[in-house]
Amino acid sequence: MPEISYWKKLWVLFYTFAKIAALVVGGGYAILPVVEETFSKKNNWLTSEELLDMMGLVQTVPGIIACNSAIYVGRRVAGFGGILAAAFGVCLPSVLIILVIAMFFPDLDPKNPWLLGAFRGVRACVTALVTMTAFRMAKKVLKSWFEYVIALIALVLVLLLKVEPVYVILGAMPIGVLYAWYQLGKKALPARDGAEK
Amino acid sequence: MNLTTLFLVFAKFGCISFGGGFVLVPILIAEMVEKRQVISMEVFGNLVSIAQVTPGPIGINSATYIGYLQGGIPGGVIASLGLIFPSLVLGPLAFYSIARWKDSLLVSGMLKGIRPASLALVFFAMFLFMGMSVFTAQIPFHALIDLVKTGSASIPADFRISWGGLGICAAVMLLMWKTKLSSTALILLSAAAGALLCR
Repeated sequence: MPEISYWKKLWVLFYTFAKIAALVVGGGYAILPVVEETFSKKNNWLTSEELLDMMGLVQTVPGIIACNSAIYVGRRVAGFGGILAAAFGVCLPSVLIILVIAMFFPDLDPKNPWLLGAFRGVRACVTALVTMTAFRMAKKVLKSWFEYVIALIALVLVLLLKVEPVYVILGAMPIGVLYAWYQLGKKALPARDGAEK
Repeated sequence: MNLTTLFLVFAKFGCISFGGGFVLVPILIAEMVEKRQVISMEVFGNLVSIAQVTPGPIGINSATYIGYLQGGIPGGVIASLGLIFPSLVLGPLAFYSIARWKDSLLVSGMLKGIRPASLALVFFAMFLFMGMSVFTAQIPFHALIDLVKTGSASIPADFRISWGGLGICAAVMLLMWKTKLSSTALILLSAAAGALLCR
């Protein structure tokens, strides 16, 4: 593989992520095949193990999944400059497209009955998409009684008691740590029993 | 909201949204619709619908739009920058430390707590969207609290089932289950069906 200059790398990062953001509708996981194609197959900048790691990590780090993937790939390929090039590439098309839409439709509150109906139809479709995402996530996340209890309490807090989501997320962290600590203690116990006998 | 507030508020969202677009939806609603009241629930629903059909991440799309409403083009750019700023600064650090200490008590415990809480937010988003499509108003969950407190509850008169919305929602779920149609195709189909059925 011929050596590519640093600036050329930055350009490929920026261009590829801008292309992904401009063409891939729906965001999130849809971008992975394109990332694999460009950075793993064509340029050999990422191994497939690194790609797998990325898929797991971008979901555990806060922020937008597409942007986190850009940051991960950008850092691997070209350090801090790569992070900036890839992240701005991922944001630029969306920002431009939405700015144009916002300039022409400053209030998304149409009076035309056909348009109102179309919006209601799309919201119904989004409801279906969110529902499917919710149950798919539930299958992955709900592994033991602990996850069920936390999810249920969090839902009651935001839904019925109108607690701000921020506090629910922040509150869940120390509870998770306490539970992990408790589990560690439980695992250590049988060993201690064994030692006493 | 001035540009500084806009930047800080979206930077806060960037710090606490784990797991992508739909987790951000209830967070945005709590701050922008309920607390600051800069956008109505109806318009927010339409915004998420548009964010779904236009390319790019939902988070960036909503940030740009809300930012534009508050401060024109600079507002749109500043809000998006605010949203990605924490990832730019903390992202590399977080990637490193989570990969390095993912088996440690602190990191694995925090993730253990965050995951089910984020899941609850996605279910919350689901109920909010039901109130904008399958029903004619938000589901009156406060009636449940009244029922527990006083033993009686009244359901608001404007809360009814929207049969068109319910039909489209059910049809989309069936299509997602039985076919491999992309979400873009499903959304365009729903828009056409909505224009015909939900007038």
